[in-house]
Amino acid sequence: MSAGVRLEGLRKSYGAVEVIRGVDLDIEPQEFVVFVGPSGCGKSTLLRMIAGLEEITGGDLYIGERRMNDTDASRRGIAMVFQSYALYPHMTVRENMGFALKYAGVKKPEIKAQVDEAARILGLDQLMDRRPKDLSGGQRQRVAIGRAIVRHPEVFLFDEPLSNLDAELRVQMRIEIARLHSELKSTIVYVTHDQVEAMTLADKIVVLRDGRIEQVGTPLDLYDDPDNLFVAGFIGSPKMNFLPAELSGGALTLVEHGGQTVPLPPLGRAPQEGERVTLGIRPEHFRKEGSAALEVDVEIVENLGGETYVYARQAGSDVLTIATGGARGLRQGDRMTARFDPSDALLFNREGLRIR
Amino acid sequence: MAQTRLGRAENRAGWAFVMPALVLVGIFMIYPILWSLWMSLQTGRGMTTSFGGLANIQRLFADPIFLTALSNTMIFLAIQVPIMIMLALVFAVMLNDPKTKFRGLFRTAIFLPAVTSLVAYSILFKSIFSNDGLATTIVTFFGGPEISWLGEPFWAKVVIILAITWRWTGYNMIFYLAALQNIDRSIYEAARIDGVPARAQFFRITIPMLKPVILFTTIISTIGTLQLFDEVQNITQGGPSNATLTLSQYIFNLTFRFMPSYGYAATVSYVIVVLVAVLSVIQFWIARDRK
Ligand SMILES: Nc1ncnc2c1ncn2[C@@H]1O[C@H](COP(=O)(O)OP(=O)(O)OP(=O)(O)O)[C@@H](O)[C@H]1O
Ligand SMILES: [Mg+2]
Repeated sequence: MSAGVRLEGLRKSYGAVEVIRGVDLDIEPQEFVVFVGPSGCGKSTLLRMIAGLEEITGGDLYIGERRMNDTDASRRGIAMVFQSYALYPHMTVRENMGFALKYAGVKKPEIKAQVDEAARILGLDQLMDRRPKDLSGGQRQRVAIGRAIVRHPEVFLFDEPLSNLDAELRVQMRIEIARLHSELKSTIVYVTHDQVEAMTLADKIVVLRDGRIEQVGTPLDLYDDPDNLFVAGFIGSPKMNFLPAELSGGALTLVEHGGQTVPLPPLGRAPQEGERVTLGIRPEHFRKEGSAALEVDVEIVENLGGETYVYARQAGSDVLTIATGGARGLRQGDRMTARFDPSDALLFNREGLRIR
Repeated sequence: MAQTRLGRAENRAGWAFVMPALVLVGIFMIYPILWSLWMSLQTGRGMTTSFGGLANIQRLFADPIFLTALSNTMIFLAIQVPIMIMLALVFAVMLNDPKTKFRGLFRTAIFLPAVTSLVAYSILFKSIFSNDGLATTIVTFFGGPEISWLGEPFWAKVVIILAITWRWTGYNMIFYLAALQNIDRSIYEAARIDGVPARAQFFRITIPMLKPVILFTTIISTIGTLQLFDEVQNITQGGPSNATLTLSQYIFNLTFRFMPSYGYAATVSYVIVVLVAVLSVIQFWIARDRK
């Protein structure tokens, strides 16, 4: 059982400060949607508006086909998993998961069956009589998820559920959540500022900035085809390189890179002669071959084993990040030629919008 | 263990630092405690005392004034402490709710009695409950009977209970408020989303989570009420006809008002000690962590 969610012109103000400034979004049933964006952009606020924990100042919220603006949080058919787990510290794992069902009028044997089922799905069988303080972070988060599962919600809401876990556990829980989604087939709205979580979990990513949606799309859409500089810079790690450029004679002159020129990426509508633009190249798009070449001086080399990141610049320019698969021989001070294929590069106009 | 010279020097310095405190504690706490224990075994009045063994304890059970003081104290305890604890909890929960208006003002107003001068508020209570005071005016205005508040045993007890509740509720509330502010707000948000009704949130989440603090304040309040003296002495002087006499007041009277009976007074003091110990053990037992 799962429902879609529709936001129409959703707004939220605290006094005179508007933190959500008109958000329109369609979430399909069974879809896994991830909200990303910089700290303070309103991800949590938006999620809490869907949950019913924050009042909606303007616009409409639909869950399923019903308008939910004024519906109590407990009647929206949602369940939420919090960053801090929010477990009841004085109750055992079993009590934590079954507590709310009692008030929903579920009979005792039925509660036990549902809690046992959730425990089985999450592998909590052995821990049912422990208190939260006797569990590890990952186990606590599992209990919090279990507490959400037993309610059979139409929509699951997650607010940075993994950010209190260490890196290794985070990977493990991420896989677990992905498995859970395919098993439960429920709609999930998930807030994170972790790139990798967003890219790996989402059917659809929503990039937010300052209370507005910058772009909505599948992870690969956003990676390959960002609408603007902000999304291009936000999605992908390490960040995309941005090189200020100017169009002259059908090629791009890189103003900060000693006036080197590179060919223009293939475009539907080329910019005008002399226009100031920004060229975007992802670190991983630099290769040994390619018709465009940049001469740069190596500043720092980061060897991660499989991948090597080179940070290089030309006198006066911003640092470029270059991913080089095999180049282990490079040292600080070396001069290197970074090549790329112009068709991999993206172009943005002065306002930061993509030129396609 | 072999002591190095440095170790011995450090030890000497350590003892030198704690000695002043130890001496003071010894003189002003340990010595009086032991001495009063010894005294409680003495009978006689004034300076002419003799060893009486357990005679004082026998005297307790045959002493009607002691039994009155004991029962008064227990009545104050049994009625006042639960009322005050519940009231303090309710105020704390209400003041912790971000939707409550003027929280700072109410918080101050409720806490203020705990820091007002004892004499000032005693005079105030005396005047409110005097025969032509505010309480009588209000009650008669609504058609009630004219009550001699401080002249009738029952109402005198009520006035004392009101006075100590008024004074100490805010004090206990501050503990709860501090504890409540430490509870992760998302626990209540989770409960709200899960449809746990407000009553159940209070009784099944808030109260259990505050249990250690409730235990602490209950024991502190129990001890405070068992030692109740100031309010009674200032408002009713134990009257009418010993209806509000407390154990502490009786000890005071035995020592300073009548021909001093130090030994017997010490015995009554130890009754309070035993009561505090027994009640604390019971409270810990009730609040124990059941697995
Ligand atoms: N109760 C409040 N009163 C006033 N402003 C608030 C309130 N709650 C949040 N804000 C503001 O709303 C904005 C969005 O906050 P929100 O918590 O949604 O950000 P976020 O995207 O979740 O950030 P993070 O990644 O740090 O969790 C912030 O600028 C914050 O200061
Ligand atoms: Mg947040």
